[in-house]
Amino acid sequence: MTRVPEARVAKVAAGERVDVAMTVNGTEVVVSVPPRVHLADALREQLGLTGTHLGCEHGVCGMCTVLVDGEAARACLLFAVQCEGADVVTVEGLGSPEEQHPLQQAFSAHHGLQCGFCTPGMLMSSYDLLTSGPRGTAVQPEELPVEMSGVLCRCTGYRGILAAVADVAAQHPDGLPAPRNCGHRTLVGRGGGPPTARADGSAPDAAGAPPVPAEVRLPAGAPSATVEVRSELGAPVDRVWEVLADFHRLAACLPGAELVQVLPDDRYRGRATVALGPVKLAFDGLAQVVEHLPDQHRMRVLAQGADTGGSATQADIRLAAEPAAEGGTVLRADAALFLSGRIAQFGRALAGDVSRRMFEQFAAAVEESARSGRAPTAPARPPGALTLLAGTLAARLRAALRRLRRTR
Amino acid sequence: MKAPPFAYVRPATLDDVLGELAGGDAKVLAGGQSLVPVLAMRLGRPATLVDIGAVRELHAVESRDGLRVGAAVRQRTIERSAEARAVPLIGMALPFVGHRELRSRGTVVGSLAHADPAAELPAVAACLEASIEVAGPAGRRTVPATEFFTGAMTTGAGPEDVVVAVTFPAARPGEGFGFAEIARRHGDFALAGVAARVRVGADGAVEQARITGFGISDRPVTRDVTALVREHPTEERLRPETARLAAEVVDTGGDAHGSTGYRRRLYGVLAARELAAALRRARTSTEEAA
Repeated sequence: MTRVPEARVAKVAAGERVDVAMTVNGTEVVVSVPPRVHLADALREQLGLTGTHLGCEHGVCGMCTVLVDGEAARACLLFAVQCEGADVVTVEGLGSPEEQHPLQQAFSAHHGLQCGFCTPGMLMSSYDLLTSGPRGTAVQPEELPVEMSGVLCRCTGYRGILAAVADVAAQHPDGLPAPRNCGHRTLVGRGGGPPTARADGSAPDAAGAPPVPAEVRLPAGAPSATVEVRSELGAPVDRVWEVLADFHRLAACLPGAELVQVLPDDRYRGRATVALGPVKLAFDGLAQVVEHLPDQHRMRVLAQGADTGGSATQADIRLAAEPAAEGGTVLRADAALFLSGRIAQFGRALAGDVSRRMFEQFAAAVEESARSGRAPTAPARPPGALTLLAGTLAARLRAALRRLRRTR
Repeated sequence: MKAPPFAYVRPATLDDVLGELAGGDAKVLAGGQSLVPVLAMRLGRPATLVDIGAVRELHAVESRDGLRVGAAVRQRTIERSAEARAVPLIGMALPFVGHRELRSRGTVVGSLAHADPAAELPAVAACLEASIEVAGPAGRRTVPATEFFTGAMTTGAGPEDVVVAVTFPAARPGEGFGFAEIARRHGDFALAGVAARVRVGADGAVEQARITGFGISDRPVTRDVTALVREHPTEERLRPETARLAAEVVDTGGDAHGSTGYRRRLYGVLAARELAAALRRARTSTEEAA
């Protein structure tokens, strides 16, 4: 039975924006759109889900095929305002790089990816065919040219694509596994301006500042980057722990960070600035101490921030201070980073490098604070393009030189 | 291209839908699979779209006195519904309607209201003598499908009307159907297509035969061919007869995809083939009933 949407009795004027709540890849979002914006544009521009491609924008090519309430539909023939309460799955929700859906694996194995432009549409259409097609996964290879004709490929033909779909149909006679990458995550648009997708239902405050989320929720799925850093400090472990346990001093040690407001339940609202070459990101966000074990000198902090330019980051950070030889301390940090929006386009390796460098600066500031017993004298400067990138590049260069020497 | 700006409203009741349509510069939005391309190509610029998706009664599929399909019922819902098996012709035609991805959202009634002359479902409605319920400022009325289509994309429903439902008669024992179309690619509108319906008596004699052509004129064209099928009950024998019929009913001008002559040939061949198939199926159904 088809879902009957709730009525929207108040008329939305032609240019007026309207909030539309829906679920996209398992995340509850609210997009703010004029009525004429179609679902594909809302997904791409407002939520940053650019996996859904657009070709003809009048329903012929099928590039924008997504699942709406479990069935493949053209996202360009559906206005976002019609999708209130809908459950949408895009190609991003089908699988992650770490855990690909069998269809994605098969497209790769059969050279069905070709130039990649039609791939999201092909994947979502074939998922629909093998889950709710005329005969489910029982589709016969000879039926595929007709059944897959709703999405156009302009490269070399459909052979690899059809072979991939036939392969998956044969491998999963009892039904196809569900999409593998649906779960809570932060989604941000590409267009700048205030965040238009809210994962937590919080409202922007009167000043137009980004909303303060009620709690930090980590995305499902594999992190974009993981960082494990170990720093040897001269200060004794008790002094180092004092710095970590005092959130004001801790925040002052974070490069580019500023503590804005202390909230109940060990939550802290803050701001952080990161500059990388032409990119300058100013995150407003929330950190929450979820584990605090003074006896073991260990703590776990969850953090999330959104940039007005359309990037978001979430982090799961574990800090541990251990006594080291000669009265010093080993400060360890393991962080899992979840990046989305523009920042994610940097690539994993560089994001990890930058994070590592920031942690080294953090560790140095902690040491200074632990020695002096005060917050760091100069607030930790935002890591600038030169300091961060130069350091990162220099480290890579050194590693490359070492490899070069070894191979001689 | 993007759709031009429009106002949007999604009323909860049919009365409110009619209220919004009053004035005439609003369009009904159901599945949108025909309307949205029209907007995207800027061929239409309605001031308001009235989404009927939230009107609960329009989602109903009922099987009293045939198959009654509400205006918000999607084509894929009908494709899968057990009730729709009572109307075999609709099941034969639906796989030709666009693609799966379009049938997910497209509605059966929307296709009728849009009245594209090359569309499949108006031909099914005409061939089966379905009845179409229309609500408007003056109240409700029921229009026979054979009179509903008045020209290319024009119907008996006015700009302030909403098509509420369609009722297809259920197949009776002794009835058989045929459906076929030729399109350049699967999912395209037909160059020419036919829907056929043949009824035979308990002795297997032809009682009634109808053929509806689409993509061949500015509306679906239905002919009673009872005498033809009675006298020429095989495809080979029907072929010259349907070729003569094609000269009469195919009046569309040629276009880049096919000349008038080509469409006449398609119609003649398809009509003979599907009438013969419908007759075969009708006779099988009487044998099964016996």
